[in-house]
Amino acid sequence: MVKRQHAVRRRQSLRGLAFASPYLVGFAIFIAWPVAASAWYSLTDFNLFQPPHFVGLGNYRHMLHDKVFWKSLTNTVYLTVVGVPLGLALSLIGALILNHPVRGQPLYRALVYLPTIVPVVVSGYLWRWLMNPQYGYIDELLRLLHLPQPLWLDDPAWGKPAVLLVTLWTVGGMTVIFLAALRNVPKELYEAAAMDGAGPIARFWHVTWPMISPVTLFQVIVSTIAYLQVFTQPYLLAQTRLNTSSAGPENSMLSYSMYLFQNAFVYLKMGYASAMAWVLFLVTMAVTVSILLNAKRWVHDGSR
Amino acid sequence: MKARHHLRTIVTSAVAISLGLTTAACGSSGGNSSSGRARVTFSYLWTGNEAKALEGIIAEFNKSQDKITVVGVSSPDFQKQLASMSAAKGTFDISDNFGNGVGSWASKGILTPLDSYIQADHVDTGDFVPAAMNQMKYKGHTYSLPIAVHDFELLYNKTEFAAAGISAPPTTMEDLATDIAKLTKVDASGNITQLGLGNPDTGTTMTTLGYAFGGTWDGPDGATPSPDNPANIAAVEFYRQNIIDKYGAAKVAKFTAGWGQYMSAQDPFYTGKVAMIIDGEWQPVSIPTTNPSLQWAVANIPYPAAKPNLAGTTQLTASTLFIPTNAAHKAEAFEFMKYLTGAAGMAAFTKALGNLPARTSLLDSNTYASIPQFSMWLQNLKNPNVHALASQPYSQQYSSDLATAFKSVLDGSKTPQDAMASVAAGAKQYPSS
Repeated sequence: MVKRQHAVRRRQSLRGLAFASPYLVGFAIFIAWPVAASAWYSLTDFNLFQPPHFVGLGNYRHMLHDKVFWKSLTNTVYLTVVGVPLGLALSLIGALILNHPVRGQPLYRALVYLPTIVPVVVSGYLWRWLMNPQYGYIDELLRLLHLPQPLWLDDPAWGKPAVLLVTLWTVGGMTVIFLAALRNVPKELYEAAAMDGAGPIARFWHVTWPMISPVTLFQVIVSTIAYLQVFTQPYLLAQTRLNTSSAGPENSMLSYSMYLFQNAFVYLKMGYASAMAWVLFLVTMAVTVSILLNAKRWVHDGSR
Repeated sequence: MKARHHLRTIVTSAVAISLGLTTAACGSSGGNSSSGRARVTFSYLWTGNEAKALEGIIAEFNKSQDKITVVGVSSPDFQKQLASMSAAKGTFDISDNFGNGVGSWASKGILTPLDSYIQADHVDTGDFVPAAMNQMKYKGHTYSLPIAVHDFELLYNKTEFAAAGISAPPTTMEDLATDIAKLTKVDASGNITQLGLGNPDTGTTMTTLGYAFGGTWDGPDGATPSPDNPANIAAVEFYRQNIIDKYGAAKVAKFTAGWGQYMSAQDPFYTGKVAMIIDGEWQPVSIPTTNPSLQWAVANIPYPAAKPNLAGTTQLTASTLFIPTNAAHKAEAFEFMKYLTGAAGMAAFTKALGNLPARTSLLDSNTYASIPQFSMWLQNLKNPNVHALASQPYSQQYSSDLATAFKSVLDGSKTPQDAMASVAAGAKQYPSS
């Protein structure tokens, strides 16, 4: 009897594995193997066409002396440190406004979300025109307001703010997630707080903020990872006429991922690019873990 | 038992279908056509009218053949080209690239050495423009053949010259500086409305000016980056002094940001926003179709008054054909390469595209007589002062670094000395072989 049960269980396990095998095989071939291969390539000098040549930690040591690497890292840190809080603040403010029951509310929500569904390449080129110092609407608006009109894409000081502007344009996705979180905050909590004499600001800090904090944590992690890997927006904004690898004046728009791409596919330094990918992975992991550890202080998990 | 048999049948069928599809996919390139001819796939980066012209030449070749059928594929995607060449079996047998990329690819073993084919077929490489042929070689072996070349001259707007009271194009750099000042217009609020000298491509303009000042970008041996050569710095300094410093980096950047697309009806040279440009031989074909009313002419790039021996200096770039090492039909691909780079094939191709022939024997040909002012570009290829950037393993990264450095001078953030010194410092880490 026991033997038979064992056989049935074994058959079920095999059947389960058989059904899961398309994913497992796909995972092994398209994810696990490339990840393991990139770890090996990061220790080699590899140009894609000739056998990899083992160089130990040479690629990692090279990063320490590569000025462009540090420039790309600094740019990415700048974008992350400024972009993540700014994106969170804007999306949260937007969600709080959209949460008010006003006429035409669904339309406003749709309008806020609309930029998110515009293909990023289209919006990238659109923004290049908007930021044109000669004909662009942004500088035209600034001119009307008697404000300085920056050379967004031609001044090293304004390259990163330009990238942030384009990235923050799609903050509607985060807004919608916050909106859903706000909808889930129980009404009774607001009523109780109001009965205790709490005003709008106190209600936000003592009811709304703690109750949406798990969603905020999710948004922080997701947007931090997105900024650390930012590629398309600066790549499109910095693109030159001849479609060469450009990163704006003084490499001011060179993100880490762009430099990784240049090394891999323009200079064919696959080993160095693999090492950069691993450094990015480790940095992303470290940042994510530190956010999660720090989250215990401010994320309300509902048990307290 | 029946279920198990069923499952086995499904799995076996799936594997068979997958293998069949894979085999079919792998067999889609480099096979033989149904007529028994070898099928050579020619993947080229050209598109539009240029691709159309190329297809006509391919059809002519196929008509002349009973052993080879060439199939042209327009694929203007460098990454796809590289990806195909990285596989054990490629998807094409012959393709094209730019001349200064030959060394980089040859050093990585991507290109088939052509020496044995050249020798066996007695191809006269001595007829090719020497500066172009130098780019085709790496470590003593020939890896590509040039199908077309390009050189750069000074184009000027005759209407604007007349309006500014200039009767002849500048011959010296000193004249050029004077003319830039006369041809640059600024409105009451200090905004530039017309620029004396524009730069359709900063990298090409600056490197060409570097040669015109007597510099070299690849050292005396032609294989070592020398961005901080004093003449190169003098060239960049010339541009900075006469344009950036004089009118302000921000004003120039604002003006150039408003330029229309290159070679479109809104091109700044076509619309008169820019009075002079340093550009290639494709303009005589483009201008009459895009803006026929433009009154323009072409002159040699000026030289420093103290160095008259530099008269007629120009930079040459080349379009090349190569056979990847993973090609299935190398001998047949070379047969087609020989046809395209032969006098008749090259003349037809370059005429259709408005490019210069890479063969010196074609420089006096009547083939190009119908292209206005083309002879200036053609004849200057005979000048001993024709230079080309090296095709070395470092060339790609060097071009990229130079472009960044030139940009930093143009935006006023670096002096030419500092910008070129930073490239020189970075160049120490370039691959050597």
